[in-house]
Amino acid sequence: MNRENGALGLAGLPRELEKRKSVLLGELRHRTLWFIRLRWAVPPCIIAGAFISSMIGFEFQFRAVVLTAAAIACYNLALYIVGRSIRGEDQNQRQFIYTLTYTQVALDYGAMFFLVHFTGGAASPLIFFFIFHIMFAAILLPTRWAFFFAGLASAGMIFLASAEYLGLLPHHPLVFRGGAIDLTKHPSHMAVELLFFSTSVFVTAIFSTSIQRMLRKRILKLSQLSETVVSLNDKFESLYQMMQHIGPNKRLDDLLEAMTAELSDVMHVRGTSIKLLSDDGRRLRYEAVYGLGDNFFKGKIIDLTKSSLNRKIIDGQAYVAGNVTEREMFQFGEDLEKARIQSVLFVPMNVENRVIGILGAYCSRSDRFTQNDVDFFKLAAGLVSIALENARAYQAIDDLIKERSWFMLKLAHNLRAPLGAMHSMLEVVRGKYLGDISEKQEEHLRRVDRRVGSMIDIINELLILAKGRTEGGTEMTQEVDLAIIAGRIHRTFQDEAEEKGIRFDVHVSSDLPLIRGNNQALEQMIENLVSNAVKYTFSGGRVTLEMSAENQGKVSIEVKDTGIGIPREEKPKLFTEFFRAANAKDVEEVGTGLGLAIVGEIVDQHGGQIKVESEEGIGTTVRVIIPDHL
Amino acid sequence: MSKSKMILIVDDDPDFRESIRIILEVSGYQTDMASNGREAMECLQSRKPDLMILDIMMTTDTEGFDLAFELKNSEQYKDLPIILLTGFLEKVREEGPDEYQHILGEQWPAKWLFEKPVDHHRLLNKVADILSDG
Repeated sequence: MNRENGALGLAGLPRELEKRKSVLLGELRHRTLWFIRLRWAVPPCIIAGAFISSMIGFEFQFRAVVLTAAAIACYNLALYIVGRSIRGEDQNQRQFIYTLTYTQVALDYGAMFFLVHFTGGAASPLIFFFIFHIMFAAILLPTRWAFFFAGLASAGMIFLASAEYLGLLPHHPLVFRGGAIDLTKHPSHMAVELLFFSTSVFVTAIFSTSIQRMLRKRILKLSQLSETVVSLNDKFESLYQMMQHIGPNKRLDDLLEAMTAELSDVMHVRGTSIKLLSDDGRRLRYEAVYGLGDNFFKGKIIDLTKSSLNRKIIDGQAYVAGNVTEREMFQFGEDLEKARIQSVLFVPMNVENRVIGILGAYCSRSDRFTQNDVDFFKLAAGLVSIALENARAYQAIDDLIKERSWFMLKLAHNLRAPLGAMHSMLEVVRGKYLGDISEKQEEHLRRVDRRVGSMIDIINELLILAKGRTEGGTEMTQEVDLAIIAGRIHRTFQDEAEEKGIRFDVHVSSDLPLIRGNNQALEQMIENLVSNAVKYTFSGGRVTLEMSAENQGKVSIEVKDTGIGIPREEKPKLFTEFFRAANAKDVEEVGTGLGLAIVGEIVDQHGGQIKVESEEGIGTTVRVIIPDHL
Repeated sequence: MSKSKMILIVDDDPDFRESIRIILEVSGYQTDMASNGREAMECLQSRKPDLMILDIMMTTDTEGFDLAFELKNSEQYKDLPIILLTGFLEKVREEGPDEYQHILGEQWPAKWLFEKPVDHHRLLNKVADILSDG
């Protein structure tokens, strides 16, 4: 595990360096343009200075000074035009930006020497303006250039003074109110002046470069900090995304896939994998692999007894490798080699001190993972584990519910066949096909048959309930025209209502929209409601089925009767399986108690709402609201 | 009502088969019985029935259907009237056209369908109806 530390120390160095250069280059470009803007002020200042100086009595080469100012304005215009063409953070323009910087410093130097030469040479008060140039160079260019320009200023001045002294260049002495300040006539004075000038420029170079060094460091640090903040923000975002995956209605496979994809993205790595520990804790199986190609690892199994590396991770250690050369350490080393993976990072996945698997990250660059990555990955592994356990728990519950419903379904199917046969055989005896039976026997058989019939009813309704609860039991995407269903219900119950002396009306509003759902289930639901209403309403009463459009494409289905009503205290149990209200049993001895449970189930399936208003002895209104889409 | 008509009852439930046999024989029909599609084919070849009462779900969920389709598509038996029986009407509804009224449409191999448990009076009336037409 010593390799781990080495890997961490070196990680990501070239990338850092590249970043640093890019930040500094941006800064340089920014300042170059700033100096060009600043320089616009120089020619007017020179001209103004020249005017004021001549007014107070200085005499110098006025025309040459003004021409120099004009030259500065000209080359600044050229610099401005060229400088504007530099765009953004284009790395290819690095050389260009440096050239531009050197050019403008060199031009400024040239202008300076001209100005100094025409305003008295070594005696010119303008020589101290060289200090500004040293400072600009220190700000703009690498530190050694400040010293170079300090040397250049100093050497340039010595050369200029010597040339004028020796007569190689014409001397233009500065004249103040008739008296010429001519240092060429006082060489020792000139030497002292030049010595102090040189000292000043070098001291300036030292100070300004050291300040600049500090500034540069701070800029880099700031840029690193802001980068860290951005990357932390990304990571938080990703953790948040992963937390969103923790919850119900998630298939385990989908969840694992989503998480590995999310992690690969935020960590900027080639791929990630999730290995889960088998129940006996002896094998690891690759359950999800993202970004490494289809055949990579997925479904492969690691034998823990043969992998000391994975055993260590399962024991709680994170593992980082920056240069995967010791392939014998990995059971699927050839896969890593094929995918050209250089760096790997593995952390254990814990839930309440129990390890359930290993989270892995893969990168084709060597020495990719830092301690920060390890810390973040551990955090992510914790979240992935929780999400996983959650999904597993939900799946287990879901499986149990489905298993129960499937069992109900099977049971109902198997009970119905023998009951059907029983009923048929009873009918044969009751129909006297096997010979005469006494009235007493007939009455007895009638009662047996009635009980068989009610058992068949219960089973039929259980079948409907169970079917709704098994996976894929009910197709919910059919386009349903409730008006057609209303017509059929009307025909179905018309005769029965008439026989009982009940008035049965059906009203369907003309603007009733089509809805999405299950045709058969919705018909079953309305049938159950109407059947109840007719059953528990006495002669002379009234049953109404009304369908109308609600806002937002919803549909209201209302079944209203003037029947026996529901006792207030029994209302909460209305939709419970096998529940029958006391007054209902008085009216109808036999009943399944499943009709309203089925109604409740179907309303749920359609994402609808149900409301029951009832008063005992007065009547009941059941109102179902179904949304237009699911 | 012709008393010499022969009806073939095909159902895998012996008790159910027996009760149908009794009511049909008491009502004066001759009957033959089979408990699956293969036996039914044998019966068809040995004695030519005038009507077939056929359960849909037997050894397999669609054995009765398969047999009915086979007969409808054969030159020899395409005119044999068939009454289908099913214990699982909702399953039939799902597999067939949406509406019950249309369940015995053109693509279906039979014109008549009864849900179990079967009302004997209705069945007898229907049988009499079909056979008197023939």
